[in-house]
Amino acid sequence: MDLFWGVLYLLLFPGFLFLLFFGLLFEWVDRKVYARLQNRVGPPIFQPFADLIKLLGKEDIIPGNVDRALFQYTPLIAFAAVMTPIFNIPLWSARALFPLQGDLLLALYLLSIPTLALFVIGWSSVSLYPLVGGFRAATMLFGFEVPFILTCLSGGVVAGSWSISDVTTYMARHPAVMLLLLPGFVIALLALEAKLERSPFDIPHAETEIVGGTLTEYSGKKLAVMRLVDDIGMVVGSSLIAAIFLGGFLFLDKSLIWSGTDFTPFINFMLYIAKSLFIVLLLALVRTLFARLRIDQMLDFSWKYLATGGLLQLFIAVVYAGALHG
Amino acid sequence: MSLLQWARIKSPWICHFNTGGCNACDIELVAALTPRFDVERFGILLKGSPRHADILVVTGPVTLQTEARLRRVYDQMAEPRFVMVVGVCGCSGSVYHGCYSVKGGIDRVIPVDVYVGGCPPRPSEIIDGVVQILNKIARGDQAADSTAA
Repeated sequence: MDLFWGVLYLLLFPGFLFLLFFGLLFEWVDRKVYARLQNRVGPPIFQPFADLIKLLGKEDIIPGNVDRALFQYTPLIAFAAVMTPIFNIPLWSARALFPLQGDLLLALYLLSIPTLALFVIGWSSVSLYPLVGGFRAATMLFGFEVPFILTCLSGGVVAGSWSISDVTTYMARHPAVMLLLLPGFVIALLALEAKLERSPFDIPHAETEIVGGTLTEYSGKKLAVMRLVDDIGMVVGSSLIAAIFLGGFLFLDKSLIWSGTDFTPFINFMLYIAKSLFIVLLLALVRTLFARLRIDQMLDFSWKYLATGGLLQLFIAVVYAGALHG
Repeated sequence: MSLLQWARIKSPWICHFNTGGCNACDIELVAALTPRFDVERFGILLKGSPRHADILVVTGPVTLQTEARLRRVYDQMAEPRFVMVVGVCGCSGSVYHGCYSVKGGIDRVIPVDVYVGGCPPRPSEIIDGVVQILNKIARGDQAADSTAA
């Protein structure tokens, strides 16, 4: 019976199918908001589904001189890595489906694998544009990963645990701490924007400079998988930020409402969707407002301001935790 | 209509290639992609890489310099692929027909599905050209590509 539920979790609800639909929905929300902010009508709601089905039905070209094994299987590894953290993120109660001690670090590691996959893809494509794109992706990794990890860990420091579920539980009990982590929220949001390689940080696939960037040589199914990696990265990344920084009073405590019929998991799940949608809206807003930076400007910005701000946030968190526990 | 056919109609991604035209058609094509016309409503996206695109939009007469490159860009596209010619130069060579450095229209090099005339055509006519290709998919016709081969 455990096996049955395990497969169900993996394939249906918080796993593959849910992430697929939610990721495509988020892509549509993002594109629609982007279009509305540019005074356009924007794509219809089924647009990402049509794109996916079309790409799955197209010819899948493997260029002659690529490294076949890396070229073919790297997208699948990135796909698996980006889906896994959803099981460690609390979605409908303050406890995740499979909480681990230290799953905050695990989620951060897994979420950086797609960027490394982009580098491997650029390397294995044996073509100039993907190679340039891959190097840019790897260079950017050093810029955004440090502030992202620093700010996410400061949530863990405040709660005194490396488990995402514990952080969310702590935030639900102490809503005021959310204000303390507000600078961290902004920094993590910008770092997520860079992680997902969206404007102003879309340097690795800058269309006007390096054609299609890292994915230039990809077509058909592999391109569809890599697009899904981006979409699901948006879902998982925004869920992670929602769990750490917005976990606070938005999560209902079970004892607060009706004791008879228990709708709390459902309401909490709706709140989770609202929170992650809010983060996607902010991401789309940033994408619309700013034009693309050069790679040196991006590194300057992230080391001077984001990393410094992340350190400051960590310092605040340590002082708070020391004053509280020590 | 099958699901795949529906998806192909709803998501035509284009890739743009200039074979040596005067840039007027390119400017009109870029104008067609501006928020004023908002072609993303129909799922049309401009893609940089020919491997991602479904429709190759070609402007200008084929010069001897670009002939091999045009063939190469076309060969890099994944099937099913369609070719749309924008501007009268690409349709027939126009005033450059018979010039010492010009091969002629696009269909001298690669199979063409839709011709959009004009010097240059208006953005609405370019969008209409894409709609012609979509009608072709809806009717279940093969791309010019497969019939020529």
